[in-house]
Amino acid sequence: MPTEFHGRRVVGGKARGLALVSPEPICFLGGVDVKAGKVTEVGHPLYGKSIAGKVLVFPTGKGSTGGSYLIYEAAANDVAPCAMINRSVEQVTAIGCIIAEIPIIDGLDVDPVVAIHDGDLVEVDADMGIVRVLEPERGGSR
Amino acid sequence: MQLTVEEERMLDGRFGYPVQKAMEILVQLGHIYGAERMIKLSNVHMPGSSVVVAGEAGTNFVEHMAQLDGHFTGLTTLNPAAVDFSSWSELGYPEAAWQLQTRLTGAYCRMGALPCHTCVPYLIGNAPRIGEHVAWGESSAIAYVNSVLGARTNREGGPSALAAALAGRVPAYGYHLKENRYGQIRIDVNTDLAGVTDYGSLGYWAGGIAGSKVPVFTGIPVNVTQDELKMLSAALASSGAVALFHVVGVTPEAPDLQAAFGGRKPEQVLAFDSRQLQESWSQLNKHQGQEISLVAIGCPHASIREIGTVARFLSGKKISPRLELWITTALPIKALAVRCGYQQPIEDAGGRLVIDTCPILSPMADVAREKGYTALVTNSAKLAHYAPGQWGLPTYYGSLQACLNAALNGNFQQD
Repeated sequence: MPTEFHGRRVVGGKARGLALVSPEPICFLGGVDVKAGKVTEVGHPLYGKSIAGKVLVFPTGKGSTGGSYLIYEAAANDVAPCAMINRSVEQVTAIGCIIAEIPIIDGLDVDPVVAIHDGDLVEVDADMGIVRVLEPERGGSR
Repeated sequence: MQLTVEEERMLDGRFGYPVQKAMEILVQLGHIYGAERMIKLSNVHMPGSSVVVAGEAGTNFVEHMAQLDGHFTGLTTLNPAAVDFSSWSELGYPEAAWQLQTRLTGAYCRMGALPCHTCVPYLIGNAPRIGEHVAWGESSAIAYVNSVLGARTNREGGPSALAAALAGRVPAYGYHLKENRYGQIRIDVNTDLAGVTDYGSLGYWAGGIAGSKVPVFTGIPVNVTQDELKMLSAALASSGAVALFHVVGVTPEAPDLQAAFGGRKPEQVLAFDSRQLQESWSQLNKHQGQEISLVAIGCPHASIREIGTVARFLSGKKISPRLELWITTALPIKALAVRCGYQQPIEDAGGRLVIDTCPILSPMADVAREKGYTALVTNSAKLAHYAPGQWGLPTYYGSLQACLNAALNGNFQQD
């Protein structure tokens, strides 16, 4: 049985992908290259990593409201995450996911940045507010 | 959140994709901030009107909404653009910025916005009434419209203001509700403020303390000018995130202290005297000695009275050939300045009236590189706050008189 977590639908939709987990907030304006889909904020735990097609797990967003448009642009360039999971969503990320049509869930019954690990194969059913860890990252302990 | 039948239909997509997306954004914001319902409105001032803010991504999204027949339901004014459309090349703006800006402005206009491109919409006809619900961006204009006019807005960003314009709704939270509009901090002004720049210094000091709280000022005279309140608003929203303030005996929600605080006690009471005025001035004036390249007046955009003052001062004089003097303003105000005979003496002296844009919302780092600028001088606390970071240039801050003297002499001295 896969591990299942329950949370709140912010933007509906379903997606499946490998998790990319950041213990730190993410700033999409200036912090992410939306042409390449890579995190560019110097000193960020995800620095240099690709967010394209991933289930991006992070506590919350930060920075300018312009960040919403950058999420939209990443999606238009096919380098956006396939889904996002937040501890608690704020307005920049929420609006970005609405206009980019990226499923996003927050308020899980566990802390997502602790319970989900880099490389886990994760299924997000945002319509139902459900996150399933289908395959833990190989070699990872749970 | 309680939606009306019509709002449910908007959310279901019966009124098209742009309205549906807009409602999704507004409902989500309502959830995040605990709103119980939507409020109808018909007045938006659009931040994210400059491509420096919206970028290519924002431009693409706004164009997408326009292509899908998005339509603004009410009066929608645009904040400054990234270029002066009439003289971008001469001013040193990159062609790419002009091209992208033309696309963005065009998309907003197709949806019904007015391409006035100014941060002072209240000076050119967008002046909502007391208690009117509006959705405004641009920090200085938000503080002015909430405080001086008594209309009600939260601090809207690009996407949320776009959503409000498309749906004609905002979620009812924050400054839309009277209970959140009472003062929290009292600031007693015990010193004479000599003109616009001193009000900027007051605002800069107070904003740093207030953060996002509501400050209430006492001791400001009833004949404080519109220009002084404009600068106070801009400064409060630069060092802090102040969206609303009250001036006892001056602004509409503060006929007296009781009304300003809603009968509650201030969390903090502070005095602003000549020492704090000096402190604030020094904070904005960290640099010295560099050769000046640009004197920038008009942040927020200059009023007709401010342009008149500059014109009278410059009449028959010449500015230093080594520098430029910009007075940034709105297109309609420039038209009036021309009719008043103000443009001629300013241009004869070597200065220029710049429209549509401003030094903060345009790609000035590019311009500074292109033109080899070394330092700038301004009478605006807001510009003095942002310029060192955005331009990477030393910045001097002083009264309009000191700035204009610097333009003539080529070096800056405090008066």
